[in-house]
Amino acid sequence: MKIFKFLLLLAALGVGGGATVMYSGIVNVAADEPHSDLVFWLLEQTRENSIKKAAQSIEVPDLSDPELLLTGGADYEYMCSSCHLKPDQIESDMSLGLYPVPPNLAVSGESHKGNEQGDEIESARKHFWVIKHGIKASGMPAWGKTHDDHRIWAMVAFIKRLPTLTPEQYQVLTAIE
Amino acid sequence: MKNFRKVAFIVIPAITLSISATAHDPKLHVKKAEKADCSKMDHSKMDMKDPVAIAMMKKCMKQAEKSKGKMDHSKMDHSKMDHSKMKKDEHKTKKKDDQNEHNH
Repeated sequence: MKIFKFLLLLAALGVGGGATVMYSGIVNVAADEPHSDLVFWLLEQTRENSIKKAAQSIEVPDLSDPELLLTGGADYEYMCSSCHLKPDQIESDMSLGLYPVPPNLAVSGESHKGNEQGDEIESARKHFWVIKHGIKASGMPAWGKTHDDHRIWAMVAFIKRLPTLTPEQYQVLTAIE
Repeated sequence: MKNFRKVAFIVIPAITLSISATAHDPKLHVKKAEKADCSKMDHSKMDMKDPVAIAMMKKCMKQAEKSKGKMDHSKMDHSKMDHSKMKKDEHKTKKKDDQNEHNH
């Protein structure tokens, strides 16, 4: 009975504490003020494990068709490049202003701290899932609401080759016909 | 005094907004449809088995085919156009038309 009372007290304290933090307004939600290391790590781990689990059974189609690069390139330029950058670009208004900082997809996946993509198949699965479903409270939209799977796979194919592209190649591939 | 307050109420936010708007290059916000710049393609360095090279070739060939049917007036150098000849030709065609009319 004592243990039960103790647990009840702990639960009441937890709920009370949570409500106090929530309603007092002391949590700073400004995007120009980074999370503490602990909060950042918690959110990052939650996000990465969630994406990994949700994307694990996605079947990856053949992404080597050159047509995919043309479709995906044009979409990337107009939907993604302002945040995820392009060859030889190191920052933009969006990449500087968003928090968490959107990964620079024009550089290789190995340099994405906190967004490690795994092998080629796992990386394609994750990219597809994130483009299709978006990520809550991060600025990443769910493009699946307005784009079919084929167009999203085309973007995945383009993103796969993006770190190897020169600015000239990027310009040709992403130009509107 | 009231007028001064009114003016300040409008001018101060306007100045503040204009300063923040010019804090970075406005060109960054411009997104215009650009044609593929195929002039920089170096075919000798391209691996024709690479999907990137194939995609670029496809894009540039499509663009070339499209522009065949259309004259690109933006690339024309109007300063080099000989207008005097153009008038002559126009005059000639007019004359021809007149002759044709007389022949009827």
